Amino acid sequence: MKQQTFLYNSKVEKVLRNINKVMIGKEEVATLSLVALLAEGHVLLEDVPGVGKTMLVRTLAKSVDCEFKRIQFTPDLLPSDVTGVSIYNPKEMEFEFRGGPILGDIVLADEINRTSPKTQSSLLEAMEEMSVTVDGRTIDLSKPFFVMATQNPIEYEGTYPLPEAQLDRFLLKLNMGYPTMDQELEMLERTSKEHPIQSVQAVMTKEELNNVQKQVREVFIDRTIQQYIVDIVTKTRTHPSVYLGVSPRGSIALMKAAKAYAFIHDRDYVLPDDVKYLAPFVLAHRIILNSEAKFEGISAGSVVNQVLADVAVPIRREYP
Amino acid sequence: MERSSPNVTNLYQFIVYLCGFLLFWEWLRPLSIVTDTGNLSLFVMYTAFCFLISILQVKWWLSIPLKLAGLIFVIDGLFISERLFSKAWFYLLYTHGRYNLEVIFQRDFTEMTALFRSFLFLLLLWLMSYLLYYWFVVAKRIFLFVLLTFIYITVLDTFTNYDASIAIVRMFLVSLVAMGITSHLNMVEKESIKEIGFKRLTAWLLPLISIILFSTVIGYAAPKFDPQWPDPVPFIKSTAENAGIGSGGTVVQKVGYGEDDTRLGGSFVQDYEPVFQAAVEQPNYWRIESKDYYTGKGWERSSKEEYVAQEDGRIQFKTFSDNVDTIPLRALVRFDEKAKLPKVVYPYGIDTIFGTGQETYYLDFDTGAIKEENAKLSGYQIEYNYPSFSIDELRGASEEDPEEIKGKYLQLPENLPSRVGELAADVIASDDNRYDKAKAMESYFSLNGYLYQTKGVAVPGRNEDYVDQFLFDTKVGYCDNFSTSMAIMLRTQGIPTRWVKGFTSGEIVDGQPDVPDNLTVYEIRNSNAHSWVEVYFPDIGWVPFEPTKGFSNPVDFTMETAAEPSGQDELTADQEQSPENAAQEEQDIPGKYQDFEDETATASGPLDGQETSGYWKWIITSSLAIIISLILFFTRYRWMSIIMGRRFRHSKNASAYQEAYHFLLKVLAYKGVKRDQDQTLREYAKEVDKRYQTTDMSRLTYHYERQLYRNDVDSTQLNKMTELWENLIKRSLS
Repeated sequence: MKQQTFLYNSKVEKVLRNINKVMIGKEEVATLSLVALLAEGHVLLEDVPGVGKTMLVRTLAKSVDCEFKRIQFTPDLLPSDVTGVSIYNPKEMEFEFRGGPILGDIVLADEINRTSPKTQSSLLEAMEEMSVTVDGRTIDLSKPFFVMATQNPIEYEGTYPLPEAQLDRFLLKLNMGYPTMDQELEMLERTSKEHPIQSVQAVMTKEELNNVQKQVREVFIDRTIQQYIVDIVTKTRTHPSVYLGVSPRGSIALMKAAKAYAFIHDRDYVLPDDVKYLAPFVLAHRIILNSEAKFEGISAGSVVNQVLADVAVPIRREYP
Repeated sequence: MERSSPNVTNLYQFIVYLCGFLLFWEWLRPLSIVTDTGNLSLFVMYTAFCFLISILQVKWWLSIPLKLAGLIFVIDGLFISERLFSKAWFYLLYTHGRYNLEVIFQRDFTEMTALFRSFLFLLLLWLMSYLLYYWFVVAKRIFLFVLLTFIYITVLDTFTNYDASIAIVRMFLVSLVAMGITSHLNMVEKESIKEIGFKRLTAWLLPLISIILFSTVIGYAAPKFDPQWPDPVPFIKSTAENAGIGSGGTVVQKVGYGEDDTRLGGSFVQDYEPVFQAAVEQPNYWRIESKDYYTGKGWERSSKEEYVAQEDGRIQFKTFSDNVDTIPLRALVRFDEKAKLPKVVYPYGIDTIFGTGQETYYLDFDTGAIKEENAKLSGYQIEYNYPSFSIDELRGASEEDPEEIKGKYLQLPENLPSRVGELAADVIASDDNRYDKAKAMESYFSLNGYLYQTKGVAVPGRNEDYVDQFLFDTKVGYCDNFSTSMAIMLRTQGIPTRWVKGFTSGEIVDGQPDVPDNLTVYEIRNSNAHSWVEVYFPDIGWVPFEPTKGFSNPVDFTMETAAEPSGQDELTADQEQSPENAAQEEQDIPGKYQDFEDETATASGPLDGQETSGYWKWIITSSLAIIISLILFFTRYRWMSIIMGRRFRHSKNASAYQEAYHFLLKVLAYKGVKRDQDQTLREYAKEVDKRYQTTDMSRLTYHYERQLYRNDVDSTQLNKMTELWENLIKRSLS
């Protein structure tokens, strides 16, 4: 077990290195995206255009030798544009299914909040069920299946914000943020001749990715840590600023993410550090603040941090 | 321009602390008037110096030497003429130090030298500068000190010569400024205002100053009420001056002999100062004088003082007639240097008194008080014929008192409540002779639930009678209550009595001084001061009785016929009250005069030699225990780490490792690297390693994490872990 972790881990390292070659100063987002990929979850990236969301996904897709699909969500996009449609083939005298972009391995759903809820839900359903249903036919999605959705927090005109119930289908919600001045300079330097993504080589096969995901599921998580997770999640439900706390799905998400994070860090067991580090990314978008908190400008992230400060880290176990 | 807040805050703090100094100065000012403190300005200067150093927040390693240097400077200037830091200078300090330490251990606090007292006083000033810095600047709680200052000054103003009429105005001004600024500072802190500008400063200060000035002017100029309560001072003073056996009053007084017995009652504290030592063959009560006139509040004498010189020390004073059996005895009395007893103490039956030189003694016939010419008693020898009254004779004595006795010793105050007489009649109803009546009265109190205590004893009010109050209301008191009550109750029944003051027999001195004729030396202290009753029997004279609970009759009564037991019943009742008597008995002289054995008073019990040494033993043992436990407590991590380390090495399992790791966490927390509850071990280990410049903690934590969160113990690593653990413990405890 340990040996395999060690071997696969080197592959993961390489993926990370690839991303960092293309994306300058985005190690954290890169790692977290990888966490989501390895934990078989999906990522919601919320940031302004032009900070490299697409580039991140493309690099990731290219590094693991996966099929990369992109859906640009627009107000007039239909569910069938996402899932695919059956077209009548006159030659065969029957309807033939043409798969939509969702059938790809790594899907970038750009500006997801621009399309109608109907179309959004067709994507979100696929993410949860790992299958799409078109014309009565159910098509299982191949593994790996990784959706990276982006939304623009600035524009509210003509957008359909994702319902809370659907937000928690995403394992993590991340912000890219602007690069620092030095990083931006470095970026200009690197992209002046040729974009570095052109030189990105696949470092992991699809097969290997599936194996790594299997390995991640095998990462050991002790009961003390599970207790710690439950403590944190329970505490979000009673926090005075919170209208609706984190659901049990959030606990599971936090555990899965923590396992992946531990794996990335070459460990086959989870530490409280992993949980603590990931909690804001996993839990913040699952919390609905009450109106007082919103009025006072308290963010969900700060609520999670408060909860973390309140929950004692387990440092002792009972020996018989 | 606006200034940054630290400067303004510092300015504020400086002002507040300055106010603290000014208020403290008010504490020092009266000292030159109410005590014999000289050179007060020097002390004030030293205080100012200490305050200045405190406000400048000089580092402790600088401030302590500075303050110490100041202290030495003051001491040197005041007391030492030797050259500073010369050999003689140090020697002088050394001798002073040694002498005063000795004095402290002997508890002779009054014997300390002026140098040492000044040194302690300066230390106190030093401490106060620190304490006030804490109160005023750090804790910002000044009200308590202001209040204490006011109480101190007003009390001094009321009870001493100190005139605080200006001081009170100063204090008001200073404390208002201090409290105003402090509340402003508190508010700034509470609202977490970052910047206090100069503008806002003035906006705050101007109203503050104007309010203070306004209220001061109003307060100063406004007409003032006269005191609304009656002035308590004369009353308290008059009772305070009576401190003695006859003392009373609402304040607690020290026990001891005093001249004035006009107001009895009130609590007192025991005073174990020695008064005199007496070498006697058998213990006896020491009489000083008697009083005959009862006022309803206390005792006075009805006649004028009339002292007559006694030739060759032959005292012409007889309390009993010549037909009473006596034994010739002698006693040596030596007064303590500090005792200021103006009158001679003597046993019953005094015959001759010899001083150490050619002193002449003067006798007041009426009271039996004997004085020496210049009233400075140091020591004398008394030859006396100690009486032994025959109970048969006492019983058979007539009750026909001479007129002069009746006229003088049956006096009662007009407003004595009638129930006193009624009770007395009840008590003696079944007795047909004077002796049995007196005995019945003597034992009445101890047999009827009257309690002996020195605390919480009432003083009769304006319309109350001292005896009546004790008999019917309070039923607690000490010798004065018992003796006065017996005397007055017997008087209501037509039996002449008088009230006698003196001392009980005291206690045998540990380590007997060398005295002739195998006499036994007793030490008599202020706490042995006592009062009792003398009852008149025609043809026999005045016979002493002891009504006070826990004491027994000072003189001997002999039984010639085997009639009913007389004193014995009371004796057993007495013994119940004083458990110390049992121990005391063995020390007393056995022999002929067995009735004297129980003369030790309850009140003087705690002074018992053995008791005292036991007390000291107890103190020493408990302080040793406290010191040891303190040492153990402060070194707990050291010795616990040794125990832990041993256990860890011997039982190499996960549980022991966990305990060891947690012990390390405790040690680190004790040393100031405390783990927050939300801090993970890894985060904490980094912090620790940063502090101690190692990687040991991270390495150790890595292993512990594996054990804790992975639930596997790598036993191959245990030796290494032990090593890491020991390193860390050593490093953190060093």
